[in-house]
Amino acid sequence: MTVYRLLLCLRYLQTRYLAFICIVSVMLGVATLIVVNAVMSGFSTKLKDRLHGILSDVIIDTSRIDGFVQYDALGYPLFDPEGRTIPLTPEAMISRIQASPVAGAIEAMTPTIEVFALLRFRLGMEEQTKPVRLIGIDPVGRAAVGGFREYLVRQRGTDKPSFELTPEARQRHEELQRHARLLAPPPPDPAPTISVGGLTIPPPNPQMMTQGMPQPQLHGMIPGYTIAHFRFRDEQGNVSEEPVLKPGDDATVITIGGRDLKPVWGTFIVTDYLKTEMSEYDQTFVFVPLEQLQAIRGMEGRCTALLIKLKNYEADKVRVVEELRRLFCHPEIRVATWEEHQGPLLAAIDIERGILNLLLFMIVGVAGFSILAIFTMIVSEKYRDIGILKALGASHRGVMSIFLGYGLLLGVVGCVLGTLLGLWITANINQIEAWLTQLSGRALFPRDVYYFKEIPTHVEPLAVLLINLGAVITAVVFSLLPAWRAARLHPIQALRFE
Amino acid sequence: MLIAENIYKSYRRHSVTVPVLNGLNLEVKEGEFVSIVGASGSGKSTLLHLLGILDAPDQGRILLDGKRIDNLPQRERDRLRNRTFGYIFQFYHLLPELSALDNVLMPAYIAHSVTAWWRSRQRWRSRAVDLLKKVGLGHRLTHRPRELSGGEMQRAAVARALLMQPRVLLADEPTGNLDVQSGTEIIRLLRELNRQEGITIVMVTHNLEIVAATDRVLRMSQGVLREEVFPYPYSPLPRCLTPAPSAQLT
Ligand SMILES: Nc1ncnc2c1ncn2[C@@H]1O[C@H](COP(=O)(O)OP(=O)(O)O)[C@@H](O)[C@H]1O
Ligand SMILES: [Mg+2]
Repeated sequence: MTVYRLLLCLRYLQTRYLAFICIVSVMLGVATLIVVNAVMSGFSTKLKDRLHGILSDVIIDTSRIDGFVQYDALGYPLFDPEGRTIPLTPEAMISRIQASPVAGAIEAMTPTIEVFALLRFRLGMEEQTKPVRLIGIDPVGRAAVGGFREYLVRQRGTDKPSFELTPEARQRHEELQRHARLLAPPPPDPAPTISVGGLTIPPPNPQMMTQGMPQPQLHGMIPGYTIAHFRFRDEQGNVSEEPVLKPGDDATVITIGGRDLKPVWGTFIVTDYLKTEMSEYDQTFVFVPLEQLQAIRGMEGRCTALLIKLKNYEADKVRVVEELRRLFCHPEIRVATWEEHQGPLLAAIDIERGILNLLLFMIVGVAGFSILAIFTMIVSEKYRDIGILKALGASHRGVMSIFLGYGLLLGVVGCVLGTLLGLWITANINQIEAWLTQLSGRALFPRDVYYFKEIPTHVEPLAVLLINLGAVITAVVFSLLPAWRAARLHPIQALRFE
Repeated sequence: MLIAENIYKSYRRHSVTVPVLNGLNLEVKEGEFVSIVGASGSGKSTLLHLLGILDAPDQGRILLDGKRIDNLPQRERDRLRNRTFGYIFQFYHLLPELSALDNVLMPAYIAHSVTAWWRSRQRWRSRAVDLLKKVGLGHRLTHRPRELSGGEMQRAAVARALLMQPRVLLADEPTGNLDVQSGTEIIRLLRELNRQEGITIVMVTHNLEIVAATDRVLRMSQGVLREEVFPYPYSPLPRCLTPAPSAQLT
């Protein structure tokens, strides 16, 4: 490195205002990439948290409708004399795991039953029916494996969440019962008797609809927040929420029995809501007590899934999953980490981010072309100087490296400024968004769409480093051509130029 | 010392070949001050470029101290240009971004790596300052070229050419763009350098007065050099200093 290269690089930087266009374009490219990456990464970490959220670290579940069963040596289910499968009870599973070498890595385990169901409740005069995922849990055990009590609305963060009704809920429930009794059932309409080919079909008895339905018992239920609330835009266009299932209201779940495939139902009273802010969960999950669900479905002593929390997930996941797969080795049983459960979604986030980065890197490409254009201009402007330098003994390589160094310098300065700008915007993105919203009168980040209270950001040092590296390399690559042209310039040609 | 032997040089322009030098011979002795005159476009600049190995002849050889220099590898030619030759151009050719001092130091900047420079920078700086003082620009060290007059720029260019203590100064119409007064000062400077430090000078000029101050005058025509039988009596240097209408030789 000879002195003049350094000197001229710096001098050209100081005296060419055109160079600032290059710097600004590199800066904007880098800043945009950093901000977008930080926001994408913020969204995806937050989303990952939420995706993990309600799932426990490791899940063992079965595809059988009647839950885990015992198998014979050939892998066929064992049956008792009555023709029922013999359950593999949660207690048996837990003790089997606790006897295994991975017992030390496990913090908590809890059995659950998960099944699809219809939730039926009254909304004013109408009946509402919604498809839901019904999950039977032991609330304390479920809380121990994580991702549950922090999402409860009323009992948020309590050590021992329960399905107990609050006194107010109980009072509301009793009042509703009284009202129901007071309201006489509507008189049956005199439906005509239809006769088909001599056979007389009696009119339907309205009471048949409710016959056989057990009277509401005081079993609690925790539905997803969105199931229990109705969202709408009012006249002003603001989003409002109206609870349609208040604590104390009852709702019926209809599902299938675990023994034979016939419909079963049960009625539960809303005691709390689950609000994970993951719309999929909030729209479909309904938690009820495990024993009650077992009773309704005729599945005493059975469960369909065992949720496991590890002491150190990242360190032990592979080992534990391997061991569990060995312990419960049957095609009907699946052992998977939460990541494997959410695999496609997590992959989609990464792909989306990759594509966005690729597109955004084109901004840096544009900056590269502005460097190319501006450098070509500067080189032709500096024709004479290049000739002088060569006459004074500068080498080809020396002249070339002035311009390469200049490109590098522009790239580095642009990157430093861009990184600062990007980090500053990232740090203040919510204020900036608020200010822009105020300015434009339109919400740029409608909170009710994203469920986030503020724009999440997460700056990854590695990503920032790669962005900077990419931008600097782009700057140098795009200054190669003008630099090479400058180096090839014949000194005589340059000196005659006047 | 510096010899051009049977030099041919032509330029091609759109498949038309323009012959410029046709078997030119020149020998410059150590410590000589030679001036070259000739019609514009006759190839004077071309010859200087060849002598200073800024360009290569089509045929013929350039010798320095009996050694051929026109076919040296690129690196060594760069080095010769840096150390052995000093150039002065009609249009000064200073770098506009740099101060007068930095311009004068440029050959040293080119010759030194950053670390080597750091060790010797004081010496070079004081040499450059001395040279600028010598050419009468001691008070203009930090001025940019555009803040200097033509004569001052040319003096800075002379200082730059002298920085590396070259053995040969090649001056292409150094006074071509200057008024008589400034031109005369430059010539006096060159003459002094030649006399006191024995620097060999090859100068292209149009100015009669100036020609009179040199040891030998050669005329370029038809691509060769001939000794000029100078029409006027030899005039000693002091006459140059009196403002006189400068006659143009064509
Ligand atoms: N790069 C070039 N390409 C083509 N022709 C050139 C080039 N350089 C010089 N010439 C031609 O060579 C001739 C000599 O030029 P030059 O040496 O500059 O003359 P002088 O310095 O005596 O005025 C001129 O006719 C000029 O047009
Ligand atoms: Mg000329």
